[in-house]
Amino acid sequence: MSHQSVFKDEAKLDINYVPHRLPHRGKEHRLLMEFFNFLLRFPERMTQRVIITGDVGTGKTALAQRFGADITVKANKQGINFRYVHINCREYRGKLFLILQHALAVFRPTFPRRGYSAEELLRTLVQVLDEEKAYIILTLDEFDAFIEQEGSEAVYKLTRLQEMRSGKPQRISLISILRDLKSTESLGASARSTLQRNLISLERYQKDQLTDILNDRVAMAFEPSTVQEEVVDLISELAVSESGNARFAIELLWRAGKYADAGDMDDVTPECVRKAVSSIIPTVRRSELASLGLHEKLFLLGVARFFKESQSAYASLSEVERAYAVVCEEFGEQPRSHTQLWKYAQLLSALGILKTEVATKAKRGRSTCVSLPSIPAYELEKELSAAVKRR
Amino acid sequence: MKIEEVFSSKPRMKILRLVARLGALNVSDIARRINLNYSTTNEHLKLLEAEGILQQRVYGRIRMYRFNGRSNKAIAVQNLIEVWEQVNKQ
Repeated sequence: MSHQSVFKDEAKLDINYVPHRLPHRGKEHRLLMEFFNFLLRFPERMTQRVIITGDVGTGKTALAQRFGADITVKANKQGINFRYVHINCREYRGKLFLILQHALAVFRPTFPRRGYSAEELLRTLVQVLDEEKAYIILTLDEFDAFIEQEGSEAVYKLTRLQEMRSGKPQRISLISILRDLKSTESLGASARSTLQRNLISLERYQKDQLTDILNDRVAMAFEPSTVQEEVVDLISELAVSESGNARFAIELLWRAGKYADAGDMDDVTPECVRKAVSSIIPTVRRSELASLGLHEKLFLLGVARFFKESQSAYASLSEVERAYAVVCEEFGEQPRSHTQLWKYAQLLSALGILKTEVATKAKRGRSTCVSLPSIPAYELEKELSAAVKRR
Repeated sequence: MKIEEVFSSKPRMKILRLVARLGALNVSDIARRINLNYSTTNEHLKLLEAEGILQQRVYGRIRMYRFNGRSNKAIAVQNLIEVWEQVNKQ
């Protein structure tokens, strides 16, 4: 007879699950409700723009999605045709036209996918919203990817949309989610000023806060009395050292549960957590690696192999480029240009996977140095090799 | 136009079923889905529009057709198709 699982509902530990209650984010949730309160009273009269910032695992996405679901229920109860549309910009390569295509598909799923510029799609989206007398909050998650790809003009287009149609009902509000405001520095002053009207900064979780989050999830996802108190305590401790990353904590909890099940155990023990932590790549989530493009993965694989073989802490971009070329050869891919690789290095650095620094001691000009500060190269190599082979 | 003339065409019935199932669609998408050339499809659509069953919306360079929500004929046709399909499923 098979051993009974410690899980009651492991979906409650899924990265995409948004709980009904977000511990220690109540204040920010109320603030969002205040910012968008007008939507419930006079939706046509104004729009709003809010930025949410915070480190990895501080609950930015969960906060926005919880708020989105709550305000949708409230607005619909009042007979307001309101939709909350949450888009991860990195999934759409930061391209405005792909993002707008997705938003438009919410209302017109059969609208042709090809041949329309971002401007045309934006006009169409507004026209459709007018027809449906609908209002939306468009949440652009990983907004850095959007800024990087599209720059000031697209941000300006999105934020100043209403000024082009004065006197008409206002339809599109915006929430932008990013790690910090550093990436907005590249924007023009006017785009930046319209974007940064309201800012919500999420602080890193402290240990007791992580414990509360984990206790909530334990109650939802596990059978009663299967998770010892010291397990939650240990995971909170580990997550604090991972800069208060709640996503890391929840993934670790799930993984520890899996180890308990695999060992036919009646409950999750600290030993399960230790096994789980040794199997997990610190700092970087598998989901983050999975969201990378093929050549970003190949480039990172080159970096991992370089550091696996080398004792040095830093590599020049050209050293890494040579390792990447070998990886490309192995997988039958045409290597990308030097400039493209530089861009990959910047992206991976923004994701916290790599660290890039500009070395000025080079004979001439400035050269980029790459390091892999927090991930064991062999773990990364194993993970990426498997991911590339699976494609 | 008399009712038997509107409904006697197989392509027109296919168009109506398609729009009932998928909502708003553009001309070339309809043509592709019912396996008919663009201009013939366009003629059928114009006829259905003239009868007040479908309406077209223009979004920049694109025309999309859907049921005319304000027309009793359109509502009746939509209901007919819906009931028909439901009964056939049972």
